[in-house]
Amino acid sequence: MGRPLHLEPALGDRLLSLLRTPGLLHLLTGALGSPLNVLVPDQIAENLARFRSVYRRHRLSGQIFLAHKANRSSALLRRLAATDAGVDVASLGELRHALGAGFGPDRIMATGPKNPEFLWLAARAGVTVGVDSAGELDRLAALVGRHSLARARVLLRLSGFEAPGVRVLSRRSRFGSPVRDLDTLLERLEQHAGAVELTGVAYHLDTTSLSEKATALESCLTALETCRSRGLRPRALDIGGGFGVSYLADRRQWEEYTTQLTEAVLGRRPPLAWQGHGYGLRNEAGTLRGTLGLYPAHRPVAGERYLDELLARPAASFGGRPLAALLLEHLYDLYIEPGRALVDQCGITLAKVLEVRQAGADGAAAVRLAMKADDMALEKHGVLMDPVVVPRDGSGPRDAAGPVAVHLFGSLCLESDLVTRRTVFLPCRPEPGDLLAFANTAGYAMDFHAGRAQHQPVARKVAAWQDGGTWRWCLDEEYWPTMSAEGPQ
Amino acid sequence: MRYDSITEAIGNTPLVRIDPAVTGLAHIDLFAKLEMLNPFGSVKDRTAWHMARPHLTDAVAHGSRIVELSSGNTAKALAVIAGMHGLSFKSVTNRMRVPEIKDLLLLLGAEIEELPGQSECLDPTATDDPLTLFHRALAESGSEYLHTDQYFNPRNTEAHLNGTGPEIVKDLDGRAPDWFIACVGTAGTSAGVARVLREHDPGVRVVGLVGAKSDFIPGIRTIDEVQEVGLFDPETYDSMASVSADEAIEGMLTLIRRCGILAGPTGGGAYSGAVRHLREADARLTERRTAVFVVCDRVESYLSYVKQRRPDLLGRPRRKHSPADVTAAEALSAPAVGVAQARRWIAAEGPLVVDLRSPFAYAALHIDGSVNIVDELFEELLRGGLPFSRSRPVLLACPVGEKSARYAALLRRMGHPDVRSLAGGIVAWRDAGAPLVRD
Repeated sequence: MGRPLHLEPALGDRLLSLLRTPGLLHLLTGALGSPLNVLVPDQIAENLARFRSVYRRHRLSGQIFLAHKANRSSALLRRLAATDAGVDVASLGELRHALGAGFGPDRIMATGPKNPEFLWLAARAGVTVGVDSAGELDRLAALVGRHSLARARVLLRLSGFEAPGVRVLSRRSRFGSPVRDLDTLLERLEQHAGAVELTGVAYHLDTTSLSEKATALESCLTALETCRSRGLRPRALDIGGGFGVSYLADRRQWEEYTTQLTEAVLGRRPPLAWQGHGYGLRNEAGTLRGTLGLYPAHRPVAGERYLDELLARPAASFGGRPLAALLLEHLYDLYIEPGRALVDQCGITLAKVLEVRQAGADGAAAVRLAMKADDMALEKHGVLMDPVVVPRDGSGPRDAAGPVAVHLFGSLCLESDLVTRRTVFLPCRPEPGDLLAFANTAGYAMDFHAGRAQHQPVARKVAAWQDGGTWRWCLDEEYWPTMSAEGPQ
Repeated sequence: MRYDSITEAIGNTPLVRIDPAVTGLAHIDLFAKLEMLNPFGSVKDRTAWHMARPHLTDAVAHGSRIVELSSGNTAKALAVIAGMHGLSFKSVTNRMRVPEIKDLLLLLGAEIEELPGQSECLDPTATDDPLTLFHRALAESGSEYLHTDQYFNPRNTEAHLNGTGPEIVKDLDGRAPDWFIACVGTAGTSAGVARVLREHDPGVRVVGLVGAKSDFIPGIRTIDEVQEVGLFDPETYDSMASVSADEAIEGMLTLIRRCGILAGPTGGGAYSGAVRHLREADARLTERRTAVFVVCDRVESYLSYVKQRRPDLLGRPRRKHSPADVTAAEALSAPAVGVAQARRWIAAEGPLVVDLRSPFAYAALHIDGSVNIVDELFEELLRGGLPFSRSRPVLLACPVGEKSARYAALLRRMGHPDVRSLAGGIVAWRDAGAPLVRD
């Protein structure tokens, strides 16, 4: 079995306080079933303020848009509507949700693949449209003409960036127009001048690499200059999101775990996961191959600090001046679209323990939860984190014999329904009726993958907030900012 | 010594004893193997030359291009060797984090490709490592490549088996040292040297040093990263230990300032790791012992690395007339004019309008009739005194009116009677709807 390896979650004040209120958590799951998602909408306003402080430090103006796709919660969106932030919507449903939550068109950006209905409502409502290709620009212009709509504000999403000197490679993206074809794209835009108005350009790169993003940003500054030289008046540069979250409390635990995983894959210690799974690593003749398919769960620089570092990067083609200084000097607004980072610490997922079986040959007990693996998708995103045990009411103090190894199975009649493949070490042996709380699941882990396989329910959502020293709650869809003590009354 | 080609000067590097007063070791003579004195600057000159040499004639005949996964010294040596033979060279890397090394490689004529970072929205099913993708790209390209493959090529180890190892034994009068300590990058040096030394004396203890996981030391791998190296065999080492970036820099400082050895951070790490490891054994010894560590390369390419980690080491004295000397209170009380007032002033008295933004921003949009002196240049100019006549009023403009206030205060202090800052800067000017032009 090897000695216990822990990956303790980083817990902010709100989540910590919630987890110290076991009575409420059991009451909620008792009434609303397991699994259950609990959101703390006030946290999103605090996260927003941290991003704003980076803007202030660099004297930058411009909008911060929540990437709605990270979570379908109404409470988070409505709480955000009560701030000055915007929202980035990527479907007709998300757009309707944003309009209904109180966002005006000047605070909404429509991005991603668009069907005609989505494009029409975006143009009709007057939200800014992030245009993916020349074809989409044509479709938007035709729609505006045919339905006699007002000129649509557009951002051109670019891709395929290059920097002078060092060639920075990026994974190929299915989105955006190649920056080398910018002139053709701008000609198209000028032909549609009566129907669309250029707000600026955008990029969104799916990478953790700062230098790839810095290259894209620098390249977009040059693209904006090309726009200006053609007599266009762009005002904004949209740099997307991907600022990341640091999930774990302790760097050493993360380093120790990944080292031990390497050893396990090379066969130098017992496996760390169900059936010796290596999370993408494999052993080829004693040499480690493959790539670790895990999210870097402890990140020294994530969220607003990542943005800060990106903005401080020098731009080689602009005399080495920092990107933030260049944005400011060129009078551009900076748009960002954080998803995961803006909903950091905004919620937890609860699941009830149904059964605990004796340890198998590998020394780990089998714990079956009232949830499917897709109800809590941290594992799907490669995030490894220990759940917190919330013992059922009145079950008394637990035997403190030390950590217990378990495997966490879901409720589907399917071999592969594992909540995590990792062998998890819990501080005590869980008992049926206990809850396991998975922390920090609001970003992509609550509803992005959840389905109703085998007629099993998907988790409900509740919103919770603190009123004085007391936690109050309501169903997610019933939440409005008037309820929250910290929101406007 | 006379040679026909610079490549003949590779190898036969000196073994220099470190003064015991510096190491503090009473019974152990610690020797530095100065691989930094190879002609292209590092231990990798041996590896690169030994790996490339047998294939050069063929490569020249086919017009091949040399490629290697390298973030520094191997790339440097291969770039030079490629250039000498009329070949081109491409380095592919995701680890090149020291800007001077990039610049140097570009200067040597190398092409650099940086591999993409990890996906933020992870796809756990995409488990192909950068190495696999790299090999696939080589196979698909159709053009001729000479891939030296330093992490797997046995000739990397062989270079040290034939060169570095025997040289150490020869310089120690035919004996192997009691300890050999090296940082692990491709593992070629330690594997090759260890084998030679053990043949002479099976009792030699080999210590491999790796970087601490959260740290970055150029040229060394962390304990997990070494597992990806084909030449790495845990059996080579009697023990593995990690060194931190701080230890590497401290060791480097000791070698530079006290021993006259201008080592880079890897050499510094090897020194610190060696002394730390030997100190314990030294306390128990009564007879004399010897130990050897490797100084891989030189310090010059790592100045920005040092500056980032230990800015105190590169501190410069403050110069006069610096905007940094202006206090916040001084900047606040510097004379400033709003947009409307500024426009009237420009129309009535025609002050010199100085735009402190970068030339790129200035070229895009600026106040008509203004002069562009970017702040960095302006700061330099002011060190020499006032750059304009006291009789000419001056309006300073920057993006938001912050830098201009600072400079206005400084110019006032330097004796200019009528300098003002544009309150709110060019942003306020634009927001007020005042005209901005392109020339």
